[in-house]
Amino acid sequence: MNFDLVAQLAISGLVIGSLYALLGVSFGLVYQTSKIFHLAGAIPFAAAGYAAVWAAKSLQLSIWLSIFIGLAAAVIIGVLILVLGYFPLIKKKATLLSLFLISLGLSVAFPNLLQIVFGVDNLPLEVYDAEGNPAVPFANPTYASGFLTITKLNIVQVVSSWLLVIAVLYTIKKTALGRSITALRTNPAMASAVGINNKVVYLVVFSVSSFLMGVAGILITLQFVANPTMGLQWTLIGFIAVFFGGITSLGGSALGGLILGLLSSLSGIWLGSQYAPIVTFAILFLTLLIRPQGLFGKEAI
Amino acid sequence: MKLQNMKRKWIAATLASGLLVSAFSGISATSANAAPSTCINKIFGAGGKAAGQGVTINAGMLLAMTGAGSFFGDVMSKGAKLAAEQIKAAGGFNYKIQIADHKNGDVPTALTEVKRMVSQGKIKVLQTSYGAPSEAIAPIIAANKVLTLNGGGSSPGQLKKDYLWQNRMLFGEDPTAGALAWIHKKYPTAKKLAIIGTQENGVGAQTTTAPNAWKKLTGGTIVATETHDVGATDFTAMASKIKASEADAIITYSFGNDPGYQVKAFRQANITAPIMGIEFTSQAQEVAGASYDTFTFATDFYNVANPNPWNKCYVAAFKAKYGEDPEYYGSNYYEQVFIYWELVKRVIAKGGNPNDSKQLQAALKANPTFNSVYGGDAKKVGQASFLLSDHSISKPMGVFTVKNGKPVLTQGIVKVAASADPNSALK
Repeated sequence: MNFDLVAQLAISGLVIGSLYALLGVSFGLVYQTSKIFHLAGAIPFAAAGYAAVWAAKSLQLSIWLSIFIGLAAAVIIGVLILVLGYFPLIKKKATLLSLFLISLGLSVAFPNLLQIVFGVDNLPLEVYDAEGNPAVPFANPTYASGFLTITKLNIVQVVSSWLLVIAVLYTIKKTALGRSITALRTNPAMASAVGINNKVVYLVVFSVSSFLMGVAGILITLQFVANPTMGLQWTLIGFIAVFFGGITSLGGSALGGLILGLLSSLSGIWLGSQYAPIVTFAILFLTLLIRPQGLFGKEAI
Repeated sequence: MKLQNMKRKWIAATLASGLLVSAFSGISATSANAAPSTCINKIFGAGGKAAGQGVTINAGMLLAMTGAGSFFGDVMSKGAKLAAEQIKAAGGFNYKIQIADHKNGDVPTALTEVKRMVSQGKIKVLQTSYGAPSEAIAPIIAANKVLTLNGGGSSPGQLKKDYLWQNRMLFGEDPTAGALAWIHKKYPTAKKLAIIGTQENGVGAQTTTAPNAWKKLTGGTIVATETHDVGATDFTAMASKIKASEADAIITYSFGNDPGYQVKAFRQANITAPIMGIEFTSQAQEVAGASYDTFTFATDFYNVANPNPWNKCYVAAFKAKYGEDPEYYGSNYYEQVFIYWELVKRVIAKGGNPNDSKQLQAALKANPTFNSVYGGDAKKVGQASFLLSDHSISKPMGVFTVKNGKPVLTQGIVKVAASADPNSALK
């Protein structure tokens, strides 16, 4: 066996798995609080990338300010989905299936809206001059040690993903907000009775989840480009990570994402790249067959 | 679309449509700027009844309007719409376009859409795209006698099909010998080749044509064969495997954005081997950024700077209408409408019915040579000829290197038979 290749594939798996972990926690947070399969989380993901590119090119802002605007856009649009999409349906006692269908519809429709507004072109996130020409390409050097390589952005992706995952897990376990979320998840009626404002908790949860999606969207835009289909492409895998790790466990969702990334990358030792999506779904199928609650979940849904 | 307009367009779209309404509003027609007709008349002759004025042809376009390949649908439809406007303004026929979305190559959708366009849209001609959908619709267009041209995803499986003709060189197959011969000439010590591609297009080139040609050229070996899903973005694992194979050269039959993602991932993995592709799009270049300046490709590439008088007229009109340069795929679909126009004129000249696809195809077979925006020179328009034996086409091909994001012709190449010496593909 070529150990250099195994190590390099493991590095690739760690990078991609870290992003899946971030997406998994974002999905898991919304599901655990509201029981909504929030596929529309793909919207803040793509919105962050597009808003950042727009700010950089149209307003000639710095990369950092553009990223800030991208993240703000992700949070705003995430909250709008909740307030304008889910809340009215929840008020009408809509079933979870109805909420899921709305979420699915929004996630499918949003790329079309992006295509209409921004066109079909791939849009890189760079610093632009007053004429709209790229002035400073995003610097992303490669660090090498023998056969092994990793880019600066890959390191940022791993570190920022896990910092955010740990911050969310800490907040859920150790803070009053976390206890409110846990109470709401366990018994919404009782949570209301003890003075927890369900709507406020939902707003906070969707804001945080959309922020996490936005961070992932920015990291992908920095690595590649913003394009209309970027949201669903990535977030579907994040969705799988949640079920793989265990939808009732936030930490499990994160670890599920990491393991999924590692396994799909390391499968390249024996299988061609075209089999990676098959490996991903096969892993999910086998896991749910043996442990319906997911690798780290406590109960099946 | 220019980003400077994004703010205004964003607000307008938000106010006007809302999310779901926008999603179902489809692809809007582009603004109808009048295209210059004088240069068209100069090249194609005067308008009037003999030129098809007053004749309406219902035309279908089967394109990727949504999904990862929506760029292709966008540029292809732009080319055809411009041609229709120019021809009408020049006193030619009325080319009435209806666009169907095959959703980035989805075969069942393509079949449904073509059946719908035939039965309800009453189309007489069709501009199709992609390999798999175009192969799948072949029986329908033959049964219904819909003269069809494909300038986007030509594959061996579409050859020799009645009413189906290709107006681009065969994807992967035709440029392979020239591409590998150029690598051999430029890097004579290269012996180990890695081959990358998809199951969608160019499969024969990946599995047979390239390995055979490489062995003939170098006596070397294929050290890696990697296939991936169309539209994949993460090629880091593939980069690791290519690097471990210690390939001296790489040829990729991937298309769309995919070569851009590949080149970026490979260069970030410190792979320094030359990478040869078989197409160039500005979108892939956006993805790869500066690393695309290490990319080489072999194809019947459209040259925007070609001084051919028709091409100059076309480029000026395209820029005036869309504010950007035309590119390869849009140009092929632009040309297709002019091919139909020429056929309509020939059928009218014979006193036939220009709305009869059987007569249109007979006119094509009677004389398979047409004007082209490819080839030619400052004084004369280029020409391209369909091959009656298999319904493919012959166009100028070349090996191009990318310099400062722009393709530069490095070496002319020609199509050669599989049994021929691949070195003879270099002009």
